[in-house]
Amino acid sequence: MTELFSEAILISIFAGTVRIMTPILFAAIGELVTQRAGIWNMGVEGTMLMGSFTAYFVATSTGSIWLAVLAAVISGIMMGLVTAFMTVTMRVDHFISGLGINLLVAGLTLYWFRIYIAGRAQPTFDGFNSVAIPGLSQIPYLGPILFDQRLLTYLAFAAVPMIWFLLYRTRMGLELRCLGENPKALDIKGLSVVCRQYMAVLIGSAMTGLGGGFLMLGFSDRFLADITAGRGWLAIVAIIAGNWMPRGVLAAVFVFALLESIGTHVQVLGLNMPHQIFLAMPYLASILLLMGLRRKTNQPVKLGIPYLR
Amino acid sequence: MSSIDDMPTGQRRIKVERRLNPNASWTLAMYMIATLFGFGLTALLIWTSGADVLKAFMTLFDGAFGSQKAWIASLAKATPLILTGLATIVAFRAQVWSIGQEGQVYSGAMGAYLACLVFAGLPVGIYLSLIILSGMIAGAGLGIIAAILKTRFGVNEIISTVMMNYLIVFLLSYLIGGGPWTEVSSSVVYQQSARIPDAAHLPYLFGTTKLHIAFVFALIAAVFCYVMLEKTPLGYEIRAMGFNPVALAHRGTNIGRTMIIVMAISGAIAGLAGVSEIFGTSHRVRVDTLYGFGFTGIIIGMIGGLRPLGAVIAGIFFGGLETGALYMKLLAKVPAAIVPAMEGILLLTFLIAGVAARYKIVRVNTND
Repeated sequence: MTELFSEAILISIFAGTVRIMTPILFAAIGELVTQRAGIWNMGVEGTMLMGSFTAYFVATSTGSIWLAVLAAVISGIMMGLVTAFMTVTMRVDHFISGLGINLLVAGLTLYWFRIYIAGRAQPTFDGFNSVAIPGLSQIPYLGPILFDQRLLTYLAFAAVPMIWFLLYRTRMGLELRCLGENPKALDIKGLSVVCRQYMAVLIGSAMTGLGGGFLMLGFSDRFLADITAGRGWLAIVAIIAGNWMPRGVLAAVFVFALLESIGTHVQVLGLNMPHQIFLAMPYLASILLLMGLRRKTNQPVKLGIPYLR
Repeated sequence: MSSIDDMPTGQRRIKVERRLNPNASWTLAMYMIATLFGFGLTALLIWTSGADVLKAFMTLFDGAFGSQKAWIASLAKATPLILTGLATIVAFRAQVWSIGQEGQVYSGAMGAYLACLVFAGLPVGIYLSLIILSGMIAGAGLGIIAAILKTRFGVNEIISTVMMNYLIVFLLSYLIGGGPWTEVSSSVVYQQSARIPDAAHLPYLFGTTKLHIAFVFALIAAVFCYVMLEKTPLGYEIRAMGFNPVALAHRGTNIGRTMIIVMAISGAIAGLAGVSEIFGTSHRVRVDTLYGFGFTGIIIGMIGGLRPLGAVIAGIFFGGLETGALYMKLLAKVPAAIVPAMEGILLLTFLIAGVAARYKIVRVNTND
């Protein structure tokens, strides 16, 4: 009896981990593309929050979660345009501009949210249901953990090898990585640095917006002012911890999500501890992780440095 | 926005060049345009809420600065904002991109509340001094941790301070939401501490108007920051750290030590903002009354041009907006959340103006 019980809890913890990974993974893999192109987009948290709000707004006003997903992606692209304009065109310091974007979005989403729900009960919607893959979901343990998830979760995991392929096996990826290492080389060859950096920011922001959208549609049925709660920052830390490699990013996101998942299972596990300890874990782990990493290796040389010809 | 001339025809291109010496009137013009543009966008936002834009702006400013009572309320609101603005300036002048002011505000409030419990019963003057001092030390402590993480372990200060902001909120939420500081009445448990005893309240400046002594502290802090940054060797080191840390190191300055001092001062000032809010205004420890001062302080520091006087002016302006927003919500039915949105817009337009002032756009022929 107790054995069955603990098995069920373990499966629930790991299935939760995979689900919690989804939004952070979208944001982190997207931001990886952006950072490889030399743009340090510090506005991930804000972009994600905008994606969440847009998804909530569209889901509750149209009733279609797929339209909501589309809207989240579009909102991500819009945020990307602002980010790229600030960092690539205006050459504002990447840190400061990202910070500005985060603060702007926190204000805007709260304002729009208040207008939207003014004088009525907060509308809710039906989010994504899990889609069990026939056959695979029957595998003991692994089935319910990996193959009984929401569609976007499968997409998030598929995005990791796809982005890897894009970065390391295509001409476009080569040029993209070159932006982060030696943009002058591209410029001298007559290839537009600005155009490519815009593209990298837009890809990253679109994926971040999608992650924000899933955070809304896959976890909750109502919007909260700070619903992203630092996940955008965790995405950035995951890139640093993962040493700017898709595989490493995947591993880091897994660790953060596992900690959060354990935190949400505190009561079931019968641990007599304040739940805040587990909520705090990913942040504490990030700091310890970053302390252990010596400055090094794969960070793009020109990351965060505006390109001036 | 784009005219036909701007099209990349291959014949003519737009090029951005750095101005060698940005001139004052051009810079001023850019910031004026940024302000107008920011207000224009805010007007657009208010319009989307379906409200009368002109009426909304008028009630906003009337509620902020329309009467003596409004002024006093605005200055009271401005007090913690000026402080977090100054905390931002001290760090950013040294190009330490700390966004830990938010966490340092919470930390300052917690340190002061701890002192308020521990030192209860001491004579009022000593009691209040110990409370204020503990708040500042707690804020400074959090700043020092970020500085050590940066200098000893190479952890980017933006990331570390963001993480600590979340950590400190979780700690506070534990302490007042089930932990030892939680207020428990006979029937309910609140997410707040018990009310602070009268002896620990910061004294009001004029009778019982809301304005309390921390406003004076904020002004003193502004003067302190100005003198420190502009007139002392430490200020020189801080500014030089922003410009050229390598040269500074060659000169024999211990950069790590300077960074720790910078973050300690910045954290202490932010901690004072937390003390001001809890012991001057809300008289209980709560998470929601403390939320956002640190972030708004960053905007205030930036918009104030990273100058102490600028922070005082911007702080009073934003404090006014927050008072006025309450009136506007009642009279013009525009959500008070317009204020943080407006602050964000102004920050972005000011950032762009700052760049536009430093660069000039020239059209070059590339026929070669």
